[in-house]
Amino acid sequence: MSAARRLDPVLLLAAPAVLYLAIVYGLPLLFLLGRSLFGAGGLASFGSFFADPFSWIVLGNTLRSAALVTLVCLVIGYPTALVLARAGGLVQAAILVAIILPLSVGVVVKAFAWQIVLRRDGIVSQIMTGIGLWSEPQRLLFTETGLVIGAANIFVPFMILPIYSVLKLVDPRLGEAAATLGASPVYRFFKVALPLSLPGIVTGIAFVFSMAASMYVIPSLVIGDRFQTLATLTGRSFLFMRNEQLGSTTAVVLLALTVAIVVASSWLSRRLGGAS
Amino acid sequence: MDAFAQARLTRRSLLAGGAAAATLVASPSILRAQTKELVVGGAAGHKPWVESTVVPMFEKKYNCKVIFEGTRSLVNLEKMQKNKGSQYMSVVQMDDPVMILAVKEGLLDPLTPAKAPNLANLLPGSTHMDAMWANYLQPWLGVAYSKTAMKTPPSSWAEMFDPKYKGRIIIPSLQNTEGLPALFVAGLLAGGTLEAVQKDTDAGFKKLAALKPNLLTIYTQQPQAYNLLEQGEAYMIGPAMSSYALERKAAGAPIDLVAPKEGVFAMPSGIAVIKGAPQSELAFAYVNEMLGAELQSKLAGPTFSLATNKAVPKPEGLGADVKIHQIDWANVAAQRNDWIKRWDRDMAI
Repeated sequence: MSAARRLDPVLLLAAPAVLYLAIVYGLPLLFLLGRSLFGAGGLASFGSFFADPFSWIVLGNTLRSAALVTLVCLVIGYPTALVLARAGGLVQAAILVAIILPLSVGVVVKAFAWQIVLRRDGIVSQIMTGIGLWSEPQRLLFTETGLVIGAANIFVPFMILPIYSVLKLVDPRLGEAAATLGASPVYRFFKVALPLSLPGIVTGIAFVFSMAASMYVIPSLVIGDRFQTLATLTGRSFLFMRNEQLGSTTAVVLLALTVAIVVASSWLSRRLGGAS
Repeated sequence: MDAFAQARLTRRSLLAGGAAAATLVASPSILRAQTKELVVGGAAGHKPWVESTVVPMFEKKYNCKVIFEGTRSLVNLEKMQKNKGSQYMSVVQMDDPVMILAVKEGLLDPLTPAKAPNLANLLPGSTHMDAMWANYLQPWLGVAYSKTAMKTPPSSWAEMFDPKYKGRIIIPSLQNTEGLPALFVAGLLAGGTLEAVQKDTDAGFKKLAALKPNLLTIYTQQPQAYNLLEQGEAYMIGPAMSSYALERKAAGAPIDLVAPKEGVFAMPSGIAVIKGAPQSELAFAYVNEMLGAELQSKLAGPTFSLATNKAVPKPEGLGADVKIHQIDWANVAAQRNDWIKRWDRDMAI
């Protein structure tokens, strides 16, 4: 039985994908790991990286901006996913198109568009001064707030879709049953819908967080040279400073960080999925 | 990138070879009247003016054929490294920082006044590292400003530091070649001499910190910065490259470039002969022509650059008495990484 399972011919279907990933992704990754661990500085380069206060600022920038982007995506994305799961027919199709179509527009184009929106005479500033929330025009471009707003726009589909795919599998009669038992809408949301959709939320957070922590193009266009993250520092080390040791060290730190997030969240989602 | 360049090269040489073979078959007499071929490597951006102005003049005068390969400086360097001992390129036009690397690899043949007499007619500071290469045309760096936002053009680099321009100034990143003078200018404004502020940048960094409230951003992508200037979000960019700013102005953008009273900086455009080059005599002749007044006066205008030959007058827009600072690129190469590290820390938001 176990021998038969080991030789399951269906597994061979995965061979092309495994081979492809091993060559174009696994091998370079091994080189990178090898260089960061056994390169010129070796493990000592990690020591000097973490001993440098500037590294902690960069680490802080990376984690804080990624966490804020993830939070904004969750706050915007969850209600959208809820509406999407409840909607039917044409409305659902329209919302899905509205979410998926922007993915076909390149990140550079979107980042450039945000530059125009976030300028001092941009539409955000005009609206805020128009409704009297700001006393004078302000610029969000090249600020961390601007970065979070712009990045959240680009990553929000990756929050909506996993939550939606979980929510649409939830039996709507569960909510109705709770209602007949006298549960208020708020109680129903927090005790029924939310726990059932947790695996989707966790997946969405893992997607958005790991993408936001490693984004490169968006910060370089929306906030510029004065806000270094692990990703921009890695790029600069390799491309301009020709410091491959520092570059591979920061790349491995970023990799470890995102792998930790993905592993932790998949563990969490399995646990939460099992609990429900 | 390299594989791509190689592939193109092979395809091109195959085509050229095929065409040559066909011509040979058609007219055997060509064997005796074979013209010499000179391969010049340079930047892709140089191609228009090299092929329209330099090549026809040179081919006619020296009865030869010039092939210009336009790519990036670092790609040219790699071509030279890979073909060491059997070079097919004879002349290379690259930025000075890359020239330094080529000298360290022993890839260049020094220029001498005997082989390139025009060396004697160059402005001081136009040759480097014992004349391993020379500068031919130099874009210059001044202050670009928005004509809609500023009624009077800036006259000094110090105006970028004026508190009334809060959030309106853009400077290039130190990782961009044109960004280096920002550091040197700050040193000059703090009261140093050009030589001293290049060696010891501490005062420059301290002065730059005072610019932070005025900074809209620090750019790495030049088009993005000029976009902001042309739309009036930014008022000034400095240092700004003549070859970019004046081209935008010529295209109708409401901006202009001025030469501040403290002087402008010359950007590096070097030319050198490759060691072990085929057609070595022609190669030196090509360099000599590029350093000559005739070609330089034809090229300075369309490329918005300064000539390095003494006989060529300064372009319009630059006063005759304006100071032109040359940058010590060997010093830059030695210190740049440390500067970038400090820059990241000191200039962060």
